[in-house]
Amino acid sequence: MNDKPNGIVEVLIDRETIGQRIVELAREISTAYRERAPLMVGVLKGCVLFMSDLVRELDIPVEMDFISLMSYADMRGPSGAARITKDLDCVIEGRDVILVEGIIDTGMTAGYLLRNLEARRPRSLRVCAFLDKEVRRIVRIPIAFRGFKAPDRFLVGYGLDFRQLYRNLPYVGVLSDEITGLNRR
Amino acid sequence: MAVITVYREPGAMGKEVSARVAGHLGYCLVDRARLVQLSGEVDLDEARLIKVEEAISGRGAEIDAETEGYARLFEDLIAQLAEEQDLVVLERGAQGLFRNRPGTLHVRFIAPRKFRISQVKEREGLTGRKAISLIRAGERQRARYLRLLHHLDASEPTLYDLTLRMDRLSIEQACGLIVTAAREMGISQTPREKIVENIVSQPLQKRSGARYVNAAESEFARFLSFYHIPFQYEPRTFPLETDPDGRTIEAFTPDFYLPDQDLYIELTTLKQSLVTRKNRKVRKLRRLYPEVNIRIFYQRDFYALMAKYGLLSEMVSDER
Repeated sequence: MNDKPNGIVEVLIDRETIGQRIVELAREISTAYRERAPLMVGVLKGCVLFMSDLVRELDIPVEMDFISLMSYADMRGPSGAARITKDLDCVIEGRDVILVEGIIDTGMTAGYLLRNLEARRPRSLRVCAFLDKEVRRIVRIPIAFRGFKAPDRFLVGYGLDFRQLYRNLPYVGVLSDEITGLNRR
Repeated sequence: MAVITVYREPGAMGKEVSARVAGHLGYCLVDRARLVQLSGEVDLDEARLIKVEEAISGRGAEIDAETEGYARLFEDLIAQLAEEQDLVVLERGAQGLFRNRPGTLHVRFIAPRKFRISQVKEREGLTGRKAISLIRAGERQRARYLRLLHHLDASEPTLYDLTLRMDRLSIEQACGLIVTAAREMGISQTPREKIVENIVSQPLQKRSGARYVNAAESEFARFLSFYHIPFQYEPRTFPLETDPDGRTIEAFTPDFYLPDQDLYIELTTLKQSLVTRKNRKVRKLRRLYPEVNIRIFYQRDFYALMAKYGLLSEMVSDER
């Protein structure tokens, strides 16, 4: 814990706490989908560590697939629109789908994906988010399974990045304002 | 809203005329007393204003960063007021702050030194020497606001639309000239879009006929569009207060409306210390229109959003 990389000012959620909560979440999901073999759709790349730990704790059969959306950071022209850069490999019509997100803050990404997936007529579609930064919400997202409520700080680690770095940290850390540029506001 | 900026040579009766112009036109006079009163509504206090004045009156070539920061906060406060009501602003660097803003009349009051000394002696009950000293301090302070905050020379004649030589005019005549100039220039009729277009340095984005007031609104609109979130720009004005004749005297127009969320968003790029007035308006709106769902998106929220996409340092450098 003392070997924090440069820029991490605080460990907000340590790996033990994450592990305990994932066991609880997996139990909730296993109970809710007891006879249904849901399809877990992970939103790349923020979901990767969370989803891989979560599915290992489930005691029901599940399928996994992944989806990826172009980031707003990649759109720097005067205009542009989000598009799916990696679509699902399977058909979800009639399936019980769980959208798995690393973090939901404004709800823009999740909102876009939910609209997109709903159009494919799954039997059910629910959201599982590792972190819920509700304080920043613009688009309402019904979160069925939530790992932790997140404070309004810049969080990285356990799949969450800043400019593609820090995803591999085994904990959720707070990134310094010097790194994000928030100190210059 | 309309703005008349005033630059006075001390002793040239500029304040007397300005007060009369404000009363005649129904504009708010922004003088020192008004600034002190307003600063009580935000996180500024008179002590900070005094600190700014003392530093700017000094003879040093520079003021420290903290004092300059306070001076700019007071400027922000004046700029915010100008969004809400018609103003007559005495000095405080207003000629620089509103330099290219349509809907603005820049007025300067001058008079020969001998005339001004006699005016100050009479008004303040001072000896000639003390009157001269007071005039010099006033000249220095007013010029330094413009020089330090806007790198402008107060003696540059092109900063002003109207220069009045007050030893040749009565207060009534000067007032009449300014009122006529304001009417002839149509500063009260200048459309908001024209004001916005000229004060925002960044190119404005246009969408469905809407123009955004600043780069933050423009970026936010792009952000919504990117995620296919339907929105309307300033679709509704909420009256907050009316006079006995039923005319609206206070209103609030949130920046964005997201129909799918039934959510209004007010995006403010004001510094955190200056959002008190806006917060108060939103509270009033919520009280009068409890069915309306509104959220203020503060400067810190906006920056946090940009930071999330790693765009903040880029934005900061763009702004500078």
